[in-house]
Order: sequence, then structure tokens, then C-alpha cells
Amino acid sequence: MMSNEMKELCAFVLQTAKQAGADDCKVSYAKRRFVEVQYREHKPEIVKEAATQRMSINIFIHGRYAGQSTSDVRKDALKLFIAHAIEAAKILEKDPYRSLPDPQYYTGRQEIALQLMDPDYQKRTPELRHSMAKELEESCLEAGGEKAISVTADVYDDFREETILTSNGFEGETQSTTCYASAKMTAQDKGNRRPMGYYYAMARALKKLPSCDEIGKKAAERTMELMGAKKIATEALPIIIENRCVVRVLYGFLSAMNGRALQQKRSFLLGKKGKKIGSDIFTLIDNPHIVGALGSRLYDGDGFATQKRAMVEKGMLKEYYIGWYRSRKLGVEPTTGDISNLILPPGKRSLAEIMKDLGRGILINGFIGGNFNSNTGVFSIGITGTLFEGGKRTQAIAEMNIADNHLEFWNKLVEAANDPWTYSRLQMPSLVFEDIVVSGV
Amino acid sequence: MQSANAATPGFFESEFGVHDGLYKKILDKALSKGGDFADLYFEHTISNSVILEDGKVNRTYSHIDLGVGIRTVKGDQTGYSFTQELTEESLMAAAATAATIADDSARLAAKKFVQLKAANHYPLQKLLTEIPLSSKLPLMTRVNEQCFSLSNVIIKVNATLYDQQKRIMLVTSDGIKAEDLRPRNYLMASVVAEKDGKQERAHWNLGGRQEFSYYTPPLVDKLADEVVNRALVLFDAQQPPAGEMPVVLGPGGTGILLHEAIGHGMEADFNRKGLSTYATMIGKKVAEPFVNIVDEGTTPRQLGSINFDDEGVLSQKTMLVEKGILTSYLHDRISAQYYNVTPTGNGRRQSYQHYPIPRMRNTYMLAGNAAPEDVVKSVKKGIYVEDVSNGEVNTGEGDFAFYVSQGKMIEDGKITHPIKDINIMGNGPKMLQNVTMVANDLALYQGGAGGCGKKGQGVPVSFGLPTCLVKSMTIGGMQRQGA
Repeated sequence: MMSNEMKELCAFVLQTAKQAGADDCKVSYAKRRFVEVQYREHKPEIVKEAATQRMSINIFIHGRYAGQSTSDVRKDALKLFIAHAIEAAKILEKDPYRSLPDPQYYTGRQEIALQLMDPDYQKRTPELRHSMAKELEESCLEAGGEKAISVTADVYDDFREETILTSNGFEGETQSTTCYASAKMTAQDKGNRRPMGYYYAMARALKKLPSCDEIGKKAAERTMELMGAKKIATEALPIIIENRCVVRVLYGFLSAMNGRALQQKRSFLLGKKGKKIGSDIFTLIDNPHIVGALGSRLYDGDGFATQKRAMVEKGMLKEYYIGWYRSRKLGVEPTTGDISNLILPPGKRSLAEIMKDLGRGILINGFIGGNFNSNTGVFSIGITGTLFEGGKRTQAIAEMNIADNHLEFWNKLVEAANDPWTYSRLQMPSLVFEDIVVSGV
Repeated sequence: MQSANAATPGFFESEFGVHDGLYKKILDKALSKGGDFADLYFEHTISNSVILEDGKVNRTYSHIDLGVGIRTVKGDQTGYSFTQELTEESLMAAAATAATIADDSARLAAKKFVQLKAANHYPLQKLLTEIPLSSKLPLMTRVNEQCFSLSNVIIKVNATLYDQQKRIMLVTSDGIKAEDLRPRNYLMASVVAEKDGKQERAHWNLGGRQEFSYYTPPLVDKLADEVVNRALVLFDAQQPPAGEMPVVLGPGGTGILLHEAIGHGMEADFNRKGLSTYATMIGKKVAEPFVNIVDEGTTPRQLGSINFDDEGVLSQKTMLVEKGILTSYLHDRISAQYYNVTPTGNGRRQSYQHYPIPRMRNTYMLAGNAAPEDVVKSVKKGIYVEDVSNGEVNTGEGDFAFYVSQGKMIEDGKITHPIKDINIMGNGPKMLQNVTMVANDLALYQGGAGGCGKKGQGVPVSFGLPTCLVKSMTIGGMQRQGA
């Protein structure tokens, strides 16, 4: 249910902006209430709770544009705020591409109950949060045993609501919840090394999270996997990137699909639409309509009615992420300006089965530092992980690095495991790549 | 609005009608269930960005943020809440939430609040909010014109002028009241060059806690020269072979290495919890005697400088490594109490929405005695790093990585061809032991866009380094050495 108060305030801003001379205006008003409880050494270390609000306006006047936001939503303050935005816009140069979207793109909004709200949200009591944090900590400590130096357990949840209105007829309203639970454990390794491992999950509803016991135990297991890490010789090996880590590498590829990068000629994917840029395994589906998922939505940041799209299909680049403004600058049809839920279809085999057949390789369970060249596609990024042979983990590794070029790297993708990481908007399974240079000694 | 003297107290009182009686009432509420101390952090921040793209200054973004964070501390436990409404009702409700961390009998805050006297390391003659937008436009246009005039292979120029004016007021239950006005700003240029069908991109920024008058036409020209040269050199750059080799770190922004290799590991919260590889190293030799590393917040107009920290502790210079010996952690009030030492002025927070934790300010290695050219001459085959980005560290192991955005090969003691697109990996304690030469040319990062992230909070920091030699680090690339 939309708050009438929020909608009325947005309408007030629209009206005030128009009266002050704006040709067009977009206003969004967002509120968030959150609670966080952190436990360490069997007691709450942090208890944090607050509510925030933010009013954002985009002003279009005589072909000029300005954007402003504020947390002060008193009507008198907003009048001054709007006047300032209009004055700022008037001084700037005209931009013929800047306007509110054509309202035709607002139409066709799906009638899907996305279930972005936890039906049990009201049951998230202080007692429940504290008991969850306690259980996370205790479970991790028990599994960590005498190796554990420190365990921190974290429980977070929030409730968000947002109202968006534009002067050319768009209306949007969303209410959603998220919840998050994590455990981090630091263990004593050889010498002064104290590796920290963690496990976490995030979802719309509490019932979608794994049990606190499971999260705590996995955090301890993952810390143990980091023990005794050292670097090995530089060589080309098959690698597996664990599901929850894939995004860190994929980010470089996705950045190059963005309309701004393309229009500003900062993309190694410029001119690659319709071309093969990866193996047949490499498929990316942007699906905004998955019920209960973290990135689900019925309209995007421009107000466009959302739709499911194949962005990459069997290695062929099918679409870019292009919002309204960049589409006008590029002279192409818009798609959507940003990612909703991104799915790389999982495979059929488990990680363990794949490792058994792969011979010698590295399972990457974390990244550190690194970057990519947006024009050439070359990337270089530090890794942590485990060397395995014949399905058995033989040695934890650290202080190592992988490097490649996105335009070649995704062609080396040979298999996806059956373990999609669903606690993210980007639901990636573990991925297997062949012949990657891993730098060490 | 009042004058631009940051030392002048009274902004929040005159603008929002808050007063000592109200502070006392709120702090008493925050301590109504006990606790060691409580504090209030008032913030009013105005941020502006003006952007040039495709030859036009055609958009601007502004943000106003107002709020009060309320903290109750009991031992190492923190209760925290904040409100964006400066009404008594909202402030009292937030204080009641913060108070829940304790469960003892009530305590009372001090009856009077004494204004903290602090030096001003970034005075403003004119408030940034009083600079009209029209004064900023010529700078942007000049960036565009200069970049295009320097090379005919430049195909895109972007420029951003960002300024932020943060006013804060801290009121503590032990009777300190401290007000500050923290400017932050930078001019950033980004270019794309195209040559023989290939494209390369570079960006650079200059700034800090500057007056607006810092941004002059000659400064714009310097910025344009730097960013264009950075892009052009990449066309000739190669990726070096992967594996271990000596690394010479050039002066200035490469100091991010210290920030990652040692700075984070010296933040006392990591150490009191046993999470840092340096947790048992205080008083021990960690480097050669010619290695001295500091973290300080007092260099005029440097991005990481603060007049006092976000807990009301005066800024200072803290020696982390002195003559090769690890000497101090970076403390907030909680860790200082834990270690029974004086706080070092490192309790910082991103905004009123966050509680303070130990954070760095300006972190750098002091100059040594070697000549920079002798450092290079000492290397048969290695890497000369000129600029880095995206540093990150695992504090428990001390393992870190950073991406080399500009650098060159060293062959037979001479700097040769440019390199690009590599990551360098290392381990903090090992790297410190492996610093075998330090030159006499200390330089600090001159930008205003640098930031450090920790526990979901970003704060402005700076860093620096003289030219120095690390005898071995891991270079990440696509070709093996000798292949």
C-alpha cells in the first residue's frame, strides 16, 4: 500500500516545480527503516536502528537539466530547494537529448505480484534479532573450535518504500523488505597469519534465509579452507570461480555493456552486438519478474515497463543496457539502463563432480584488489583459493593473481555448476574456465 | 549563513535552534540505562557536482544532508541511532534507541559543554556554497579545450568539478563541544584517445580541502597535460611477464601501498579483536632502520586532514613505524580505553548515519637518504610503478593487492617501455621487510577524490611515499617470465 502522505508530497513537488518554471520534472521520495544487531564474545557489540528519507528531483527547463536530492522534506525547505535546482539548470548549456522518457515506454507494465515484502515482517522483533545473532555466533564458534580467535555475527533487516511521479504521467510505488545474516570467523594460522572467512545470505523474507546454524557452520568451514595458504609457481591452469565470487569478474564485462560506456567510447564491447564474444555456456538473462528475488521490479529507473531479456545468448552479445538518455545520444532503441536479476543458467553437475574430473586446478573463493581496462577488456585481479587435484583439495593459495582479456576469457568458459547463488541480484553458479594464467612465485 | 571561519561556533544553534540544555537532555537520555559515555554528532553537508560531457557543461547534481547521530558506548559495545529531524521528539527517540545497548543504572552527562580549541588546517576565506555556478563553468570549458588542443587523437573529454562543505558539531557526555567546517573538492578530467583503431582512457584529478581560488587556469592546464599524457602513453604500453620481481615505487600516490600494506592492519579495532596480522607486533622490528611511517591529520589542505576526529580528539601526527620498529596503533576512544593509551585522533565516520571507528588520515613514509635515480639503477629487471588504484587488503593475513594504472619496465638499471594492466600482490609484513632503499623525494597524493572504504563507510584519506625499492613482489599478468 502506497503512503498517501508520500504521494501527496511528491505531487506538491511536481506542482511547485512547474509553477516555478520547470517544463518537466521527476520526483522520487524514498524512506528506509533498518535495524542491525552484531554479536561478538556472546554479547551485542553493535545495536543500530534508524530511519532515513530522501527526496530527489530532476528538473528539465528550456532544454536544460539539473538533479538535486535532500533529506529535509519540510515544504518550505523544498520550495527553496526546487528554486535552487531551477536556477542551477538555467545557467547550464542546453542538452537536446535530455528529457523525460517518451510515455509509450511506461505502458505495458506487468501485473505480477513480485512478493517483495516479507509477509512476516512484523514478526522481526528485537528478541528475534538478538536470538538469531546469538545462534550465528555460537554455531560458528562451535564449528571453529580452538582455532577461532574471533567470531562476529551480524543480523540486518530493513523496510523500504518509494514513490516516483513524473510530470508526463508516470506513477510508481514500491514497498520492499530485505534481511541479511552473516558470520565471520578469524582463525590462528601459522606465524602471524590470521585468515578471516565468512558466510552470508540476503533475501526478501526471513524464511528464504538458510538457518543461522548453517550460516555459522559454513563461515567456520570457509575460514578453515584458508589455513596454510601460500603461493605456488606461475602457470596456466583450469580455474573454477565459486558462485558467490563470479560477480567480481563479471562486473568488468557488465560495465562494458552500459550505455554510457558505449556512448563515451569506453567499452571493449562497442560494435560487438550480434557477435560471438563467449562460449556456448555463456548466457546472461536479465529477468526482472522472478517472484521474491532481490532485483525484481515492474518498472526500471526510467519508468520503463520491465521485460525479460537475453543479454548474452550462447556466447552471442544480444543486447546492451541502454537507458532513455543514452539511447537518444546513441540514436538507438533503449532497453533498460541497469540490471534487474541476472541469471547465468546453471549446469547439471555439482562442484565436487566437476573438480573430480578436472584434474589439477584452482578453486577461487575470493578476490582482492585488481581492476580492468574498459577499452581493451584486459583485467588483472588478486585471488585466494584452493589448489585441487583429482577432486581433492591439496593446498590453500594466497598472494596470487589471475589475468586475462574479457574478449577471450568468456570463450574459455567450459562449464557451469548446478549451484546458483540466489542471495544476490546476480544469480551466478560456479564457473569453470580453461587455461588461465595464474601468477605466483 | 555566517562567515566562513570554521572556528566560529554556533552554526547549528543559529540555524536549527538547538542549545546546551537540549544536548544535556538528549545525552542524559542516551545514558538512561547506563553506559560509559555518549555523544551527539550533528551534520549539515552540501555537495555539488558540475559535469561536462561531449563539449557541454550540461548537468549539475546537488545534495543536502542533515542529521544527528547519537551513540551510547559501554565498554566495547555501541548503541547507535540517528535522525534526520532536529526536533526534540526525534532526538529523544533516537537517544532512547542508542541507550538500549546498556542495562545498568542511569548516568548523567556533564552539566556544561566546553568548546574544543583546535587548529584549523583548512580555513576558507569564502564558503564553497557562496561560489556561483557561473564561476565554475569556465574551468570546465577550459579542461575540454586544453585536452583537445594537446592531441588530435583525443576523441572524448569529460570533466567534473565536485565540492562538498560539511559542517559538523560534536557534543559529548563528558562535556566537550566541537564544531568544524570541512571542505572537500576536486577537479577531475577523463579522456578517451583513439589511435589506429585502438582506444585508451585515462583520468586524473587535483584537489583536497581547498579554497575555490585553488582552481586556476594554470592548474587546469596542468591537469589537462597530465591526463592526456596518461592516455597517450598507454598506446605504447605492454603487459610485463607475470611472477616475482623487484618493484620500485615512484613518489606520491603509490603511497596507497602503505595504506593497504600496513595502515589498515594498524587500525586498533582489528588488533584489540585479534583480527590483524600486526596484533602481536607492537615494539618489534618490522622493517629496516631507515623506514619511518606516519599517519597524521595536520598537513594543510591535505584530503585526509582533520582538525579533530569525530569523537572530539584533536588531530595529531602518529608514528606507526619508527626506525623500523612498530610503535603505535591508530585508536578511537574504545580501543584507547582497551589498551589504556591516549586516543590518537583516528575515530572517524562517514556521516551522522555511522558510528566512528579507527580510520587513517594521511599515511606516508618519511623520506630517506638515497637519490631516486640510484634506486632505479640498483634494479636489473623490475617494475617502476608510477600510479596505482583499487588497493585492497586482507588484514588478518596482511595480504594485499593493487592495480598498476601507470608504470614502466626497469631493465639494466634504466627505465624503459611503459606497462599497463597489471595487478601487484604482496604481504604487508613481508613487503615492509623487503623495503631495501628509500629515496629523499617524499611526495603526497595531490587529489581530492581519494577515499577509503571500511565496514561500509567511506572517508577521505590521503597518502604518500618517497621513491623506494621493494626487492620482490608478485606481478600478475598473462605471460609467464621467460615464456
